[in-house]
Amino acid sequence: MAVKGSWYERDSRFIAAHHQPALLLDLALARELDSHRLLRGSGLFHEDILSGQARISPQQFLQLIDNARRLLDADDSSFLFGQRLLPGHYGAASQALQQAGNLHQALTLLVHLRALLSPLLAPRLVLDEQHVHVVWLDACGCGEQRRFMLEASMTALASCSRWLAGERLPWQFEFAHEQPRYIEQYWVHLGEDVAFARQVDMMSLPREYLARPWAGASLTARQVAEHQSLAQLEALGFSAGLLDRLYAHLRTHIREAPNLDSVAQAFAMSPATLKRKLGKHGSHFQEQLDLVRKHVALYLYRVKGYSNDEVAAYLQFHDSTNFRRSFKRWTGFSPSALRQLLG
Amino acid sequence: MPPLLKFHAWKLAGLLLLANLGLLAHLIAGNIKPTSEWDWTDIFGEGGSTLLVLLWIGLLLKSRPAGRVTSLLFCGLACLFFSLWMDSIDEFVQLPAGVNWDKWLESGPMPVGFILVTLGIYHWHREQLAISAQMEKRERLFREHRLFDKLTPLGAADYLRLQVQQALQQSRAEGQPLSLVILDLNDFDRLNREHGHAEGDSVLQSLTQLLLLNLRRQDLLCRLAGDRFVALLPSTGAQQAQQIASELQDAVRHLAYRSQRNGERLHLVAAVASVLAQDEDGDSLLKRLNLALARAKQTPAAKRA
Repeated sequence: MAVKGSWYERDSRFIAAHHQPALLLDLALARELDSHRLLRGSGLFHEDILSGQARISPQQFLQLIDNARRLLDADDSSFLFGQRLLPGHYGAASQALQQAGNLHQALTLLVHLRALLSPLLAPRLVLDEQHVHVVWLDACGCGEQRRFMLEASMTALASCSRWLAGERLPWQFEFAHEQPRYIEQYWVHLGEDVAFARQVDMMSLPREYLARPWAGASLTARQVAEHQSLAQLEALGFSAGLLDRLYAHLRTHIREAPNLDSVAQAFAMSPATLKRKLGKHGSHFQEQLDLVRKHVALYLYRVKGYSNDEVAAYLQFHDSTNFRRSFKRWTGFSPSALRQLLG
Repeated sequence: MPPLLKFHAWKLAGLLLLANLGLLAHLIAGNIKPTSEWDWTDIFGEGGSTLLVLLWIGLLLKSRPAGRVTSLLFCGLACLFFSLWMDSIDEFVQLPAGVNWDKWLESGPMPVGFILVTLGIYHWHREQLAISAQMEKRERLFREHRLFDKLTPLGAADYLRLQVQQALQQSRAEGQPLSLVILDLNDFDRLNREHGHAEGDSVLQSLTQLLLLNLRRQDLLCRLAGDRFVALLPSTGAQQAQQIASELQDAVRHLAYRSQRNGERLHLVAAVASVLAQDEDGDSLLKRLNLALARAKQTPAAKRA
């Protein structure tokens, strides 16, 4: 089923209902919930999922998550969902991930096949000299379900990498949101190394774990499965969400002072259309631009050890007062206060 | 068929039959009053009470398992309902002067009903005491059903937090030590992946029973999250807590858990840690407890296990 355009949007129906959404249904059924109540408002019936043919949009999936959250009414729902998510039973993409020979291969696959493995939140791989970071980005306007999906996605990757590696990997977790009441769920499912109010949603690991070989992987099986998965993406016509694509574009062109007009042109649409599409995803252009500039600034501070002036210059601010004011708008802190806070 | 009708069909049918017979007797013997003679205050008062008692009967049957106490309460409420029902019909039907069986129908069942309800409530109280005894080690001093765990019959993290807060105050006031023990299964994640999450849930339920058996009467067991349990031990020093922790660990190791699917033995190994409460609040105590567990899991012996 081909969808036009090189990205998916909130209402693109491409998520196989018997893949990630079915896991949520299983979780609800294990807690003896009624499947009709779970599927209410999602435009989906239990029979559709069982048929293995139904495709749903991110929007429908988010509705399902909202229902599940309210019906399950438990603090561990997102974590239990996450434990089941990866490698999952999503056909070739899951097989490829399961046959990864080491963490680096697994993470690369996860990023390349994110439309199939993690359609709502996009993982982004950042390597520096000491660490590997996985930054989780909103791919299609998760809104209220963002925290649920962050908890689920990070649990999924931590649990999957632990299983495939055969040992617990010392992931460190950072979340942009404040510490929730149910902190013990983070301790049990993610570990003690969890920090909140950190501006980014990211998990990090020392680089040495990247290349450690994992037992039981088959090179040929992985290559075949990866090939099949890429063919699936080819048939879909996209491999990432609109917000994800926009983030990557802005990140590449951040030093050229991108604006709505130039970006709309790059995406081959009118500024009004881009504006409308971003509105549909619960965002607007300035918000996306500020997000990218915030991430770039934090990267330069934390990884490259840049000074305030160097970061301001990199982001094309010619006036340091102006930079400080903008930075405060992005993060709620002045540059020096935030650097102190993040250590 | 809804469960209410399935289990209580005879009770409800009997009540319906009696209520109808009473109505028929009135209609045969008397005449319907013209609207002008209706006394609206009485109609609202008596009719409203009748409906409320009917609602009580519905709630009672819906919320309680069938049994002796339920039957007593039902019979009592049924008598009250019948009395009030006759009283209400009185407002609409005028009986001739010579008839006085209606007074018996109105006032006879009322005292019987009150006696039966009283007996029912008394036995309900006895039943509640028995249930509370069963809840021992799973709740202390106060109950809040909204804080119960959804999987195991234990209180969840929020209930534990409240209890820890209270126990800290109590231990300070009485000058008694307070200790906490934490227990977490090793490789529970792998068990879930290899045997399925339903099996994992069943392990947690069995583990709950095992841990309860190995605790003292005054202790409280809660499920913190996932496969992590916390026992609150009032009037217990550090050394004794450590002893209890290692006994719990041994109990888990020796549990011959059989999988649900094919009865295969699954070996369970748990990591434990204990802390003695210092001068601190509940949140930092729980945080310290979890860090102690993380350290215990990192020791070489725990990794081998």
